[in-house]
Amino acid sequence: MPTDAERHLASLLLHVRPDRQVIVRAAIAAMPGTELHIEQPGKMVVTVEGPHEGWIADRMTALHLLDGVFSAVMVFHHIDRHHTDQEQSDRAAVESAGGT
Amino acid sequence: MLDRRDFIKAQAVAAAAAAGGIGLPAAAQSSLVAGEDTTLKWSKAPCRFCGTGCGVMVATKDNRVVATHGDMQAEVNRGLNCVKGYFLSKILYGQDRLTQPLLRMRDGQYHKEGEFQPVSWDRAFDEMARQWKRVIKEKGPDAVGMFGSGQWTIWEGYAASKLMRGGFCTNNLDPNARHCMASAAVAFIRTFGMDEPMGCYDDFENADAFVLWGSNMAEMHPILWTRITDRRLAHNQVKVAVLSTFEHRSFELADIPMIFTPGTDLAILNYIANHIIQTGRVNREFVESHCNFRLGQTDIGYGLRPESVLEVRAANAKDPTDSKPIDFGAFAKFVSTYTLDYTAELTGVPKERLSALAELYADPKVKVMSLWTMGFNQHVRGVWANHMAYNIHLLTGKISEPGNGPFSLTGQPSACGTAREVGTFAHRLPADMQVTNPTHRAHTEEAWKLPKDLLPAKLGYHAVQMDRMLKDGKLNAFWIMVNNNLQAAPNSANETYPGYRNPDNFIVVSDAYPTVTASAADLILPAAMWVEKEGAYGNAERRTHFWHQLVTAPGEARSDLWQLMEFSKRFTTDEVWPAAVLEANPSYRGKTLFDVLYRNGTVDRFPLSEIDSDYANDEAKHFGFYVQKGLFEEYADFGRGHGHDLAPFDRYHQVRGLRWPVVDGKETRWRYREGHDPFVKTGEGVRFYGNPDGKANIFAFPYEPPAEVPDQEFDLWLVTGRVLEHWHSGSMTMRVPELYKAMPMALVFMHPDDAKARGLRRGSEVKVVSRRGEMITRVETRGRNKPPRGVVFVPWFDSARLINKCTLDATDPISKQTDFKKCAAKIVAV
Repeated sequence: MPTDAERHLASLLLHVRPDRQVIVRAAIAAMPGTELHIEQPGKMVVTVEGPHEGWIADRMTALHLLDGVFSAVMVFHHIDRHHTDQEQSDRAAVESAGGT
Repeated sequence: MLDRRDFIKAQAVAAAAAAGGIGLPAAAQSSLVAGEDTTLKWSKAPCRFCGTGCGVMVATKDNRVVATHGDMQAEVNRGLNCVKGYFLSKILYGQDRLTQPLLRMRDGQYHKEGEFQPVSWDRAFDEMARQWKRVIKEKGPDAVGMFGSGQWTIWEGYAASKLMRGGFCTNNLDPNARHCMASAAVAFIRTFGMDEPMGCYDDFENADAFVLWGSNMAEMHPILWTRITDRRLAHNQVKVAVLSTFEHRSFELADIPMIFTPGTDLAILNYIANHIIQTGRVNREFVESHCNFRLGQTDIGYGLRPESVLEVRAANAKDPTDSKPIDFGAFAKFVSTYTLDYTAELTGVPKERLSALAELYADPKVKVMSLWTMGFNQHVRGVWANHMAYNIHLLTGKISEPGNGPFSLTGQPSACGTAREVGTFAHRLPADMQVTNPTHRAHTEEAWKLPKDLLPAKLGYHAVQMDRMLKDGKLNAFWIMVNNNLQAAPNSANETYPGYRNPDNFIVVSDAYPTVTASAADLILPAAMWVEKEGAYGNAERRTHFWHQLVTAPGEARSDLWQLMEFSKRFTTDEVWPAAVLEANPSYRGKTLFDVLYRNGTVDRFPLSEIDSDYANDEAKHFGFYVQKGLFEEYADFGRGHGHDLAPFDRYHQVRGLRWPVVDGKETRWRYREGHDPFVKTGEGVRFYGNPDGKANIFAFPYEPPAEVPDQEFDLWLVTGRVLEHWHSGSMTMRVPELYKAMPMALVFMHPDDAKARGLRRGSEVKVVSRRGEMITRVETRGRNKPPRGVVFVPWFDSARLINKCTLDATDPISKQTDFKKCAAKIVAV
């Protein structure tokens, strides 16, 4: 179940009408948790960060339906569950690798 | 230095750029899996949803699916994933997952009007077998039936076909794919003598023009849509034409957008044929060498009940499939009435758009790919529409080569692999064979090691007919697997529900969730789904792909394969086979159906030791042999050597699917073309070898109007369909809270002026009313779907708002597929 301790990060590939790219860029900038990384005519790579899958899915759907966007599809999704667990497992990994 | 968060983000960006073919600075390159939790086990599987057949990577931990992502190695989707695919891991874990059999009971006994109570599998099967035996004894084998699915795995469909035909001796087996692509399947066989597309998804990167004939790929096939979008944006000469009865998301990419009056796509297709002929662009050499011409039967009715006035009035409702040979001249004359003027007037499409579209086909330099789904198939003249699309590709020779081809998309993950290739239709056997053909039956009896003359010759009931026969009390024991027919079937309040609740009938539903259909059943059997079992699907481009069992099903949920095989143990041949067959073949006496169908020396020939030790296989463990492999290999033998060739079982666990025919280990991307298809000999060039003369059939058909058109009282066209977030009836996707939230209810999409004329506005509560039923919802005038005036669109995923109470049960008279796209309705304020 999603908890406050979760962080979700996903990257999306957008296909965009080249003549509307400016408008799409502005719409992405106005969408919280959403960041434009790479752009070339007709394509954009966007990351979405949020507290749970629903947040990611909402933005994915919103981006897919944005005026000027042909499609928004997901490529990568990372979940950090319970930061404390993660820190522990990071520590364990370091320890097992012979670190201190 | 990057912190952990930046590092993951950089990875995510790199992966998306790679998938999108975007160059990146070298520093940003990194492996996709590097940052992933090393305690997760990743395995491949095809997506559970549509017919695209995307590959996904599935992560499991502690017997639970915890994550999925697009498979970079899968050719279909190359790492991309649509919003439904993103939530695959969650469909297994809805709160109301069924985990034990539920039987309607009163006072400790089965009772049709009882309440659902949990029972053991033994108790469930005891009651079910008792009912089956009662019905068979009283009325014979044709009073039992099964409604299956294009979501069955290949071996589940195959096991079901054996049980119904070879066990219970009836062809009353039909898949929900009847509602979805029967028209396509029938037209393939009538044209080419073999089912399924000649081309494949590689056509996307080779075509100069894409024509969507009644398909909203942007929402329904989003991953394939990215491939078309890529092609369009990267090449200026590439054109996209989108045809529909209302404007939808795919129009965003359209160079040639076209809204036509419902049903008139037939006229557009004939106009294009006429344009090709009139402008002298027929590929004469191709047509003379590779095509026959036929004149089809006309005035064939609408597949309604025979007493319906429309059927009585139709001249040829009884023999809709007839045709007779003609020549090219007669065909040219036939289509010559479909002039630009006539077609523009009939369809409501501007002339310049019609001629621009026709030029895409006529211009010999333009490689064109035609794509369609339900707009063509759910059509009272769906078979004709499919034929007419083949006509324009055949006239120009634009077929069976990279970038040139008609391509019928599918909506279910194994509509092709299971429903069509295995042959779970009421008229079909494996490898395109037909139940009415004595040679085909004899061949099947031999392959299944069954006595001669056992398999029934009589056509079974098709999907809509099953509902009618349940209502009329002719079909009394009915098993529904992996589909939600009460929500999906047309005119459901009048023609489907009454049959399920008919006191003479015993209805069994196997599903993972308590669907509308399950709630109307007498016995509900909890089903294992997707990666809870070993599986195989076949996608729209003839790709067969496999997956391993990755987790255990919850509670007592069992796969459909287990259910079918286990149920077969409760019958002996003496109870269900004809006496004459047993008399002539006494060695079969006293055996269970399980023995004769699955313990036949072929299905049970692979030991458990052949299962990959990294994966569980609950069915194999239960039955004591590698059931999936045995069923697959017995089935695959039907097709090997004549164009349906499948690779050996184990190979599919190693690769991301292969497109059949697979010959000498190599898949086939374009069929019927020398150099691509090993069944076409050197020097033949093209050979449509499904037909004995090697030629494809071009059929002449006219435009004929739909079964019901708007009038003064019911003044709007009602079109139904799907939306991006939900797949089909929503039984899985509506259980994902995030998808539910994105699109919680089915709205009626209508033109703002149509709303205004009725005193309505966006958000108004309204009733959608047809002659058959009504449904309450709200008005949407600004949504992603923009109908023209006179048309409304309602999606059918919402189990609380059943639009199929309003639809008409008119079918294509040839394919028996329902037309869900055209009936008359009115919208009134509540």
